[in-house]
Amino acid sequence: MAAPAMLHLTIWIGVPVLAAFALSFTSYDVLSSPEFIGLENYMDLLHDSVFRRAMINTLVYVFFVVPVAMALGLLIALMLNMQIRARALFRTAVFIPQVTATIAVALVWLWIYDPRSGLFNAILSFFGFPTHDWLSSTTLAMPAVILVGIWQGIGLKMLIYLAALQALPEDVYEAAAVDGAPKWRQFFSITLPLLKPTTFFVVVTSVISAFQAFDLIYILTDGGPANTTSMITYEIYKSAFREFRMGYACAQSIILFVVLVILTIINRRINGGDRGDR
Amino acid sequence: MELTRRSLLAAMGVGTTALLAGCGGSNSSSSSTGSAGGDPADVSGDITFLCALFEGATGKETLEGNLLKTFNQQYPNINVTIDYTNYSKLNEKITTALAGGLMPDVLTLGVGWIPPFANKHAIAPIADSLATRYAYQSRVLEPARFDGNLYGLPMVLDVRVGAYRKDFFAEAGIDAPPTNWTDLRKFAKELTVRDSGGSVIRAGFDPFSIDLRQGWETFLFANGGEMFSEDGREVLFGGDEGVEALQLYIDLVGDGSAIFANETPEKGMPSSLQSGNSAMMMTDNSLMLTLLDQAPELIRDDKVGWFAVANPTPAIFQGGTIVSQSATSKHPEAAAALVEFLGGQDAVLAACAQRGSVPGMDELLTSDFVAGNPFVKFALENLDKSRPEGGTPAWMEIREKIKPTLQSAVVGQQSARAAIDELTGIAEAAIARL
Repeated sequence: MAAPAMLHLTIWIGVPVLAAFALSFTSYDVLSSPEFIGLENYMDLLHDSVFRRAMINTLVYVFFVVPVAMALGLLIALMLNMQIRARALFRTAVFIPQVTATIAVALVWLWIYDPRSGLFNAILSFFGFPTHDWLSSTTLAMPAVILVGIWQGIGLKMLIYLAALQALPEDVYEAAAVDGAPKWRQFFSITLPLLKPTTFFVVVTSVISAFQAFDLIYILTDGGPANTTSMITYEIYKSAFREFRMGYACAQSIILFVVLVILTIINRRINGGDRGDR
Repeated sequence: MELTRRSLLAAMGVGTTALLAGCGGSNSSSSSTGSAGGDPADVSGDITFLCALFEGATGKETLEGNLLKTFNQQYPNINVTIDYTNYSKLNEKITTALAGGLMPDVLTLGVGWIPPFANKHAIAPIADSLATRYAYQSRVLEPARFDGNLYGLPMVLDVRVGAYRKDFFAEAGIDAPPTNWTDLRKFAKELTVRDSGGSVIRAGFDPFSIDLRQGWETFLFANGGEMFSEDGREVLFGGDEGVEALQLYIDLVGDGSAIFANETPEKGMPSSLQSGNSAMMMTDNSLMLTLLDQAPELIRDDKVGWFAVANPTPAIFQGGTIVSQSATSKHPEAAAALVEFLGGQDAVLAACAQRGSVPGMDELLTSDFVAGNPFVKFALENLDKSRPEGGTPAWMEIREKIKPTLQSAVVGQQSARAAIDELTGIAEAAIARL
């Protein structure tokens, strides 16, 4: 059973990762053969202000999108775990952004953010507030992108938390209720600790997913204005496919890979990994 | 003569139909000689064509249903498979094709793209005799040349110029478009309209209606500047001309007569000029088709005019599409034949008619299409003022950096001088890596 998985891992993951690592030490423009240049790409990255900016933007995006979407996902999962009317409908509604193509999502949000005919400005105008050009403002563009990222990310987190909530043992809650523990105490003392393995899983997958934010940026802002919304993946894409600097893009990818590994290790230390406190 | 939407469409339609129906014109016979020489029936092969033109069902029908049928009448043993794309994906398509070793035999390239691809031997030079096959307008073939060789043939020119609303000008008592930047800023202020709360409801000038890179280059050329030295190894835009061109954007925004926008509207979307949200804007030839489709009364009533931005040198940005041949084609003769055909009068006129673009050869000046499209006519009459972008083998890398760097100055993150200095450094580093 392990052999096909190992084969897949080797061919489709191992080889590309090794190839990217090797190419990161070369000057490779696709048009001609790779030329070994040692650490030059990495040295260039140290002085690349745009890449630095993209790294900061990505961290800001992850910092806001992951915890907010997780908190909202958990909150909605708690509500949808209760016996309420049209529960299936609500679950579907929350999950729909997750299964909708990001391009379609982004196009809808482009309209929502449209400075002249968009929904947001129409609402602001209706209540007499000043309107904004959301995606052209250096201060508003990133929050605007983050908002879409949060909105789109809630569904999957909600689903995972909902599945975990439904698997929690009822007897623990019954015992707590007998001991007179109020609901909020049950949540913080029972639910959250029991959800720790789920939370670890959600954090890791959410961080990786948020670090890979690309299509939203591609459609909504093109990284602008003035690189204020450019992310690491978008810079990798531009270096590789628009600027013909494949070796440089590979070095950027390796940096992203290392950052993700470090964050996963840190998170594992903080959260105690996928061990539950049962 | 009163110009109506019907007459314009009819002229374009008649022109297109005529050329498609009668493809056996003089140029067809010239094509039949083929760059490969000999009997065209002897030229054979299955070739691929990466095409960023002939978009949509109409374009596909024009290319496959008409043009290529004519081509196959001349070259019955060449089978052409077309991969359609658009400009925003063209670069990526070529990169992935190169990386995967599946470079198309024939491909369309943008203006400025020839030196990078030719320098790396990704495209092949074509017969120089093709440069004299038609009476090309001056400057038209310039972007297709590199290192003394001809690497492609222009299919369409997509120029960028200023456009203005004549009715708004008349209301403001202004009788002609600006001829220098002082006038441009003055007119823009006078034409700006605000509501009682001070919000701009009509911008005097909308320079963000085209890509910031292309707009800045237009201003740079109008200011007497150059992008690169003739050999493409020296950056020339870092002087005062480039700084002043960027400062113009900053000043217009500072005046409140232009509003910064991160994104330019997609082709076919209503323009700010059309909706009355601007009195002047930068535009390309697609504006004409959009107006004819969405606001024909503006053309019928002669409310829209065009001008070359000047300070004082009038300049028109010359973009466009060049058809080239891959250097790695397994069927070079077949590929050469297709390039020759696509750069011919019939294909050029068909492509231009579909996109509202400018044909660059004198033979087409008298075509119904040109006569029936005031924008194209204006562009052709002023093509001597046109300037292409690029000019260095490092262009593909540099062009991606221009817009965000310029934006950093427009939004006030750094001065125009600092932004141009930064851009100069980026460009010099890219050239040094060649």
